[in-house]
Amino acid sequence: MKLAELQSAFQAAVLAGDAKGAEILDAFAAPSRADRAEAFDVYVHGYRLRLAEYLEEDYPALRALIGETAFARLVSAYIAANPSRNRSARYYSCKMPEFLAAHPLRRANAWALGLARLERALADAFDAKDVAAKDLETLAAFAPEEWPLLVFEFHPSLSLIVVAADTTVVYAALVDEEKPTLPAPRAGEETIAVWRAEYEPLYRALEEDERLALNEALAGKSFGDICQLVAFQDETAPAAERLAQFLVNWFSEGLIVGVREAAE
Amino acid sequence: MQPTPRLGYGLGLRPVYYEEILNGAPPVDWFEVISENYMIPGGRPLAMLERFRAAYPIVLHGVSMSLASTDPLDLDYLAALKALAARIEPAWVSDHLCWTGVHGLNLHDLLPIPYTREALDHVVDRIGRIQDFLGRQLVVENASTYVAFAEADMTEWEFVAEMTRRADCLLLVDVNNIFVSSFNHGLDAAAYIDALPADRIAQFHMAGHTDNRTHRIDTHDQPICADVWKLYERARRRFPDVPAMIERDANFPPFAELLAELQHMRDIDTVVAEARGAA
Repeated sequence: MKLAELQSAFQAAVLAGDAKGAEILDAFAAPSRADRAEAFDVYVHGYRLRLAEYLEEDYPALRALIGETAFARLVSAYIAANPSRNRSARYYSCKMPEFLAAHPLRRANAWALGLARLERALADAFDAKDVAAKDLETLAAFAPEEWPLLVFEFHPSLSLIVVAADTTVVYAALVDEEKPTLPAPRAGEETIAVWRAEYEPLYRALEEDERLALNEALAGKSFGDICQLVAFQDETAPAAERLAQFLVNWFSEGLIVGVREAAE
Repeated sequence: MQPTPRLGYGLGLRPVYYEEILNGAPPVDWFEVISENYMIPGGRPLAMLERFRAAYPIVLHGVSMSLASTDPLDLDYLAALKALAARIEPAWVSDHLCWTGVHGLNLHDLLPIPYTREALDHVVDRIGRIQDFLGRQLVVENASTYVAFAEADMTEWEFVAEMTRRADCLLLVDVNNIFVSSFNHGLDAAAYIDALPADRIAQFHMAGHTDNRTHRIDTHDQPICADVWKLYERARRRFPDVPAMIERDANFPPFAELLAELQHMRDIDTVVAEARGAA
């Protein structure tokens, strides 16, 4: 058998998952003590074991939420549907939120999909590109009359995810508490900002007006434009003050890496 | 002549030991890291690696180059590895004599190759092109194997020796892998050690394995066993100046236990050197 055919057959047999019935066994010399199927099973079994470990490492809260049995079934299904296409184990589990979105668990558990998305976002933030965050002093370089034209650049680790209401509460309980008490599921959604400050992945649920402001700022809208939009959404609050407070928070949380004046 | 710097005694750098290493200045001369763990955009892993690099020589050890695969070379992977090497300036770069997948897949395992002329030509050609791309000599490690192919034109050690000569690469001799593969296939581990080309040995790996009675598995989760130490002593008699290190990847013991294993390695080397001096 040519080398390419041999590798193709070997890989197909590992993916098929049954060492005993594999045709590739005929290509092997007799091992000294084990039989051929037992020896080949080191590869067949090891493949699933390694991929399962990657998933367990990346989704501890999801695992705690749904329990060992359901998680093991989910992992088996994921591995069967997703052979790895990346050289690094780091990226193997990336498709779990997408996979879960089409899985019965999504309906069976109100927080499963949201937790998967949050854990994925935290993992992505962990090793996102390094860019130094700016502090509030950066604004001192601009005169007050320039503020309406300011646009902000955000840390590359920042992502906003929209998930089921109380997902952050459930996540915190699952990772922090030995016997977590979870709230009763309720209708509605929450938007979570996930990012990395220095080397620490962080997350925070956003109030509706901050969600709106951050979304617009991420889209490159200027401070003045965002003020108008927030004022339009909530006429009872002074928009500029509220937005200024958001900005102070964004700077102190390491979210902003650049400030510039937009071209008029 | 020893083809790599005489770095001394190293350990695999794993996050579980970061704090003790940084706070304790342990008697470790250098560290080896898994290249793929640092082929990422940024964050703590790269920052920590740069911190260790400022204090120690670092060796980049890959697990996904797939140098025996019949897929085309993954130039994106090699470019990322080259960029990491430019950033870290490792003492050398190594990976395994194996393949990890075909048809664009990666099984995240070190898969066996047949020791045929066809495979040898293929591997020699690939190593040559990889070395040209990286602009450096590659250090290639023998992998543990659990099956051997019936079709073979030579032994593993003949394959390794000829590969090294023709591709002009260097060797990372994993003593535990030689033991494991020899046990699994009924081969003579001592003959393997004795057949290796002395002027090409860049590094030793030592590690523990799991004994499943009918076969052994290279798990890196156990202390190094007596049989592997014995084989190491034989290797050390042939290759006196080769930098050596211990890999531990699971079932992590207290750091002091790894340091004790490293000291055992030094003690063996002292005895071997004294015997050489007395001869």
